[in-house]
Amino acid sequence: MTDLALRSVGLRKTYRTKGSPPVEALAGVTLEVRSGERVALLGRNGAGKTTFLRIASTLLRPTAGAVEIFGVDVDQHPERVRPYIAVVPQEGKPFFHLTPREQVYTYLRARGLSRETGKARAEAALEAMGLTDFADRLAITLSGGQRQRTMVATVLATEAPFLFLDEPTIGMDPFARRSVWASLRALSRRGSTIMLTTHYLDEADELSERLYIIDRGVVRVSGTSEELKRSVGGTLKVHMPGGAAEIERFRSFGRCVPDGTGLTVIAAPERLGELMGVAVAAHLTATVGPVTLEEAFLNVVGRSIDEE
Amino acid sequence: MRSESVGWPRPFQGLTAFLWTEVLVQAHEELAMATSMVVQGVLLVFVWILDPTLIGVALLGAVLFSMFTMGQRVLNEAAYLRIDHKANELYLAGPLTAEGYFLGLSAGVMIVYLPPVVIVGILAGLVVHLTLVEVGLLIVLAFGVWVCAASIGYIFSTAFRENRAIWAYSSLFFNVFGVLPPVFYPLTKFPVALRPIVLLMPPSAAAAILQTAIGAVRPPAGEITLAAVGLVVEAVLLFALAVYWARRTARER
Ligand SMILES: Nc1ncnc2c1ncn2[C@@H]1O[C@H](COP(=O)(O)OP(=O)(O)OP(=O)(O)O)[C@@H](O)[C@H]1O
Ligand SMILES: [Mg+2]
Repeated sequence: MTDLALRSVGLRKTYRTKGSPPVEALAGVTLEVRSGERVALLGRNGAGKTTFLRIASTLLRPTAGAVEIFGVDVDQHPERVRPYIAVVPQEGKPFFHLTPREQVYTYLRARGLSRETGKARAEAALEAMGLTDFADRLAITLSGGQRQRTMVATVLATEAPFLFLDEPTIGMDPFARRSVWASLRALSRRGSTIMLTTHYLDEADELSERLYIIDRGVVRVSGTSEELKRSVGGTLKVHMPGGAAEIERFRSFGRCVPDGTGLTVIAAPERLGELMGVAVAAHLTATVGPVTLEEAFLNVVGRSIDEE
Repeated sequence: MRSESVGWPRPFQGLTAFLWTEVLVQAHEELAMATSMVVQGVLLVFVWILDPTLIGVALLGAVLFSMFTMGQRVLNEAAYLRIDHKANELYLAGPLTAEGYFLGLSAGVMIVYLPPVVIVGILAGLVVHLTLVEVGLLIVLAFGVWVCAASIGYIFSTAFRENRAIWAYSSLFFNVFGVLPPVFYPLTKFPVALRPIVLLMPPSAAAAILQTAIGAVRPPAGEITLAAVGLVVEAVLLFALAVYWARRTARER
């Protein structure tokens, strides 16, 4: 056993389906996750996030390369890895004719937990996911977000050493999402390693200690949220409706991104006063905000789109 | 490293818990339990009208046929849970073994659909005046047929990528194999030349053995040996294949 919870080296996956051309979903992914770390995989639709998660969680065989979980090769010894992992599959659903309480409890029992532990953990997970009021209603009568909360509760209640969550908070309201974040933080404090995918960049920012941006099957960038934001080239973004026509006046301040008739300038705080002066002179109104992970993401993935 | 189950997973860890999950999941379908007997009921009425002296044979056939069509439910359920719920991913990426998943699901289906079969079985026992030994034989044969059917059902369930495609085929296979061969009617009414074929199909093989045991038919000893050996070999091989296949398909390629 090593201090590394996950190690992926040159992981490749090509899907071959009869009657359609092969798809190279992963083109050599190398990454590491330390024990107890919370890591997010970001990427556009079809980037390869689910493919990576499914290989790492023993549900899909790679074409080449290898993944180790706690030092064990997942492809060679899946049966040795499985007791230590739990997965929220993308688009997974709870059993429709069980209640959330039954769903969580029976799943824990099927994982070999005792009655007492199963009961206690199920109650705690239902409570943490705000499901207490719906815990005895059949899942078929629950809303989409409530069902998703049930799935997440099911998996978090395992307290498995390695948790894979594929878009765990999809369709959840802001309160529910925050409950998931809190539970994941608590689990990682107690030693669980967490790898999740998400399209909510605020979630990735808030929750993960490290991010990997995957694009067309390769890791483009990795780092902390702060590092990625810094890579954008400034910490403030200034948006000016109708500013696109005046783009030349702002080039010296930093990256200028026109969107329609509007213009966004990424700038350093020291030059904000000067920039505002130019905006006033050009009769433009400006709103100022911090650079977010979204700019970093658009920057990284946008660059790779430009390279096409 | 923390874990709820340190070390190697035991072969069927969590199986019983998953089995009861499946029972809970299925048990709400009261209507499905009732409709699981419709084909058998219709065939029993046919036999009653055509030749009431064969009703005992037909009742025993109904038990075996019912066990065989449970394979169809396994097929539908396994495919549905995998495709619509991703339940396989939830369970297989965990300590429950692939064969535990297959067996738990199949046994759960059996338990839910067993009560009406038991009623038909008791009816058959009363009509045919089965001895204790014959009752034991009926149970063993019914179990053998179920093992074959569940194995076939699970193996086939992995072949589909969408549920719509399954509805068209699954009932066909299980009904044709169960209705056309001599399951509800005596083996001796079936052409001698074609008998080896039906004696190698699990439900008709089991029916041939039962019919012989209760003295309803007197086929050559070779035919019964073929049926018995065939059924045992098929049950063992199909089960082993299903376990192998469950493990193999736990990971997609
Ligand atoms: N079973 C499959 N057969 C063939 N191609 C597949 C299969 N699953 C995924 N792909 C392809 O592999 C690529 C990566 O898919 P993947 O599901 O890993 O993307 P993702 O990053 O999870 O996307 P999303 O954000 O939409 O969930 C895509 O081009 C997809 O079309
Ligand atoms: Mg995905």
